[in-house]
This record gives sequence, C-alpha cells and structure tokens, in this order.
Amino acid sequence: MNTLKLEIVTPEGQIFSNDVKSVTLPGKEGEFGVLPNHASLVTLLQAGVIDIELKDGNHDIVAINWGHSKVDENSVTVLADGAVSIGGSTESEVAKSLEAAKALLKSISDSDVAIAIATAKMESFAKTRKF
Amino acid sequence: MANLKEIKRKIKSVQNTQKTTRAMKLVSTAKLKRAEMAAKQSRVYAIKINEVLSEIAYKINQYKNGAVESRFFDKDETPKIVDVIFVTADKGLCGGFNIQTIKAVRKLLSEYADQKITVRLHAVGRKGIAFFNFQGIELHTSYAGVSSSPSYEKAQEIVQKAIQDFIDKKTDKVILVHNGYKNMISQELKVVDVVPVDSPLEVLETNSLMELEPDESGEEILDSLLQKYFEYNMYYALIDSLAAEHSARMQAMENATNNAKERVNVLTLAYNKARQESITTELIEIISGVESMK
Repeated sequence: MNTLKLEIVTPEGQIFSNDVKSVTLPGKEGEFGVLPNHASLVTLLQAGVIDIELKDGNHDIVAINWGHSKVDENSVTVLADGAVSIGGSTESEVAKSLEAAKALLKSISDSDVAIAIATAKMESFAKTRKF
Repeated sequence: MANLKEIKRKIKSVQNTQKTTRAMKLVSTAKLKRAEMAAKQSRVYAIKINEVLSEIAYKINQYKNGAVESRFFDKDETPKIVDVIFVTADKGLCGGFNIQTIKAVRKLLSEYADQKITVRLHAVGRKGIAFFNFQGIELHTSYAGVSSSPSYEKAQEIVQKAIQDFIDKKTDKVILVHNGYKNMISQELKVVDVVPVDSPLEVLETNSLMELEPDESGEEILDSLLQKYFEYNMYYALIDSLAAEHSARMQAMENATNNAKERVNVLTLAYNKARQESITTELIEIISGVESMK
C-alpha cells in the first residue's frame, strides 16, 4: 500500500510524524488533498484543520493557526505556528483538545468563516469518533 | 563566652545560606532539564524551515535569473540604523551570565558609535533593563518577565515591531544577542545578524521540480517564511538563554554551596579553639582559687 510521510512541526515541538494514507490541507487558495506520489509543491496554509487518513483507515485531525506546507512525492511537511492535535483515548480528552483547538483558531484568524468551517469540522469529527 | 556565642550564630547563618544555595541548585538543575528539552524539540522546526527557505530561494532564483528581490536578503554594507535585541535573565544569582551579555551589547554600542551608526536597543529581561536604565542609556523598547517563561507568542510580540520597521526601511539591520547554552557547565555568547539573512543561503539543487502554488506567490511565501524565520530565531534565543541561565545558576549555586561548606569548617575550627581556650582559662581560675585558699 502506498503511504506518504507526514510531519507537522511547530517551534514548540513536533506534533505529528508518521506514515499516512492521505492528508487534506487548508491551503490559502482553498482546501486540497494529497495522496502518495503527488507533484511537488510549496504553498501557504491558512488557519484551519488538517485531516489525516491514517494507515488503518482511521482519521486524525490537527488544527493549525498559520502554516506553510511543502509537498514532495512521498512526504508532506507542515510548518505551523501553533497546532493542536484533536484526539485522545477518552471522551473528556477529546473535548479538552477540542477546546484548545478552538481557542487557538480564535486567537489568530480574523475570518469568521474560516473559524466556523474549521470548528464545524472539528466538532463533527469529535462526535463521530468511536471509543 | 560572648565570643563563643557569636561564632555559633555565624555558623548557623552560613549553614542556612548553604541550605538555600543547595536548594536553588537543585531547582535550577530540574528547570535546566526542561529548558533543554524545549530547545531540543524546537530544533526540528529550525531544520525544516531552513530546508524550505533555501529551496524557495533557489526556486525564485531560477525564475528571476538573478538576485532575489527581497529586503530580507538585501545586504546593506553601510547600515544607518541598527536594531539590537538582547536577552538577559529576569533574575540574578547566576554568576557572570547577565554581565557577559551586557558587555557584548556595550561593545556593539561603542563600535557602532565609532562608525556613526544609530543603534536602537530592545531589551528583554529585567537585569538588562535595570543595567541600562542605571547607566542612563536609552532603551527603545523593553520587555520584562518574558525570559523566565518564554513562549512563541511572546517572541512574536517582541519581534513584530522590529520586523515591521525593517520592512518599512526604518532600520537596516537587526542583531540578536543572547547568552546561549553550550553544555551543563558552560555558556556561549551568541551574536547573530538575523536580518538581512546571510545570503546566499545554502541552496539545494535537488528539488528543482517543485512548484509554487499559486505560481506567482513565490515572494509572498518567501517573505512570510522569513518573518517566521525571524520570529523563530527570537523564540530560540529566549529558550536557549533560559537553558543557559539555569546552567549558569546551577554552577554559581554549586560554588556558593562549596564556599559555604568551607566557611563552616573554618568557623567550626575557630569555635572549638575558642571553647578550649575558655575551658583552660576557667580551669586556671579554679586552680588558682584553690591555691590561694590554702
């Protein structure tokens, strides 16, 4: 199975580093998905949500407040100012990270639409997550 | 007898000091570990941003067949106004840690004064602020309370103005001075010219197939990345300085504890001598009293 290596780094540390099936990024000109063997490109990202499809078919999401991504054939690197991974093994952990992610988005983005879209996505993700 | 009491009191006082310094050393050791970890974690980001920066610079070079037209790369040989951002600790009791940074800043000041270049000082950390205020040297901006708990947001706040002034051509150069962490027992003074960026950046020629998305946004991406690069440098200076501060304090407190130990030994010796002397005097008094009764 084809996979690509995704790395999300912030100045405060590495948030995510693993092989994944696909990833959807909030590009400056609109959302775009990356599958393995994607053409190389560099672009800016806006505040939003990164949707990651893991190797086992499950999804993980990470909220970012600004970013920059570099896509190579088999790897994606995201540089972000702040990033919060939404996840955890219990419901309360998910809720907690969800709150943190919302705060992160609110603190930076001046576009209400972007916040609303991202928040809706995160919430639906948190709700559909099975434990 | 009064002498004996006095010495005893001194011993107690030195022992108390020793307790404090030992505790401070332990605290610094623990904090140093945390600061070191933070520095280590953020290094991943440094590597990545350098990679991406050099690739984009290379890419734009290709498009334009020449120099990158960004103020961030425009090396001005004769700067007129220079920003100096320096980081000191908020607290003392860490040996020569703060003084080293201050000395370096003063050296820069006098060098630039000789060349008739205006320097604007941006101070981070109470110790540096206090020093320059006392000397009557004007600080352009000052930030207290950041050094002991650095965060990326605070770093952004500090450099935002400096970046804007640089882009608006109000300043020609920005220098970052801080005392950095080298290893557990030594610090290293770092004076870095943040912008203009030392060009040419180390250019990687491998990924020449990379596309910029959207096509014409190369310079925009580069500029925003360079701002991040600047902010990151500031953040790194803060955490590096914190690690160095703790290592310096650890060492200073270790020395203080050892000195206190030595003092206690000397004082104990003096105490015992005084005690013996007083016993001897008492004995002589008793004996001579008995003798006189005969």
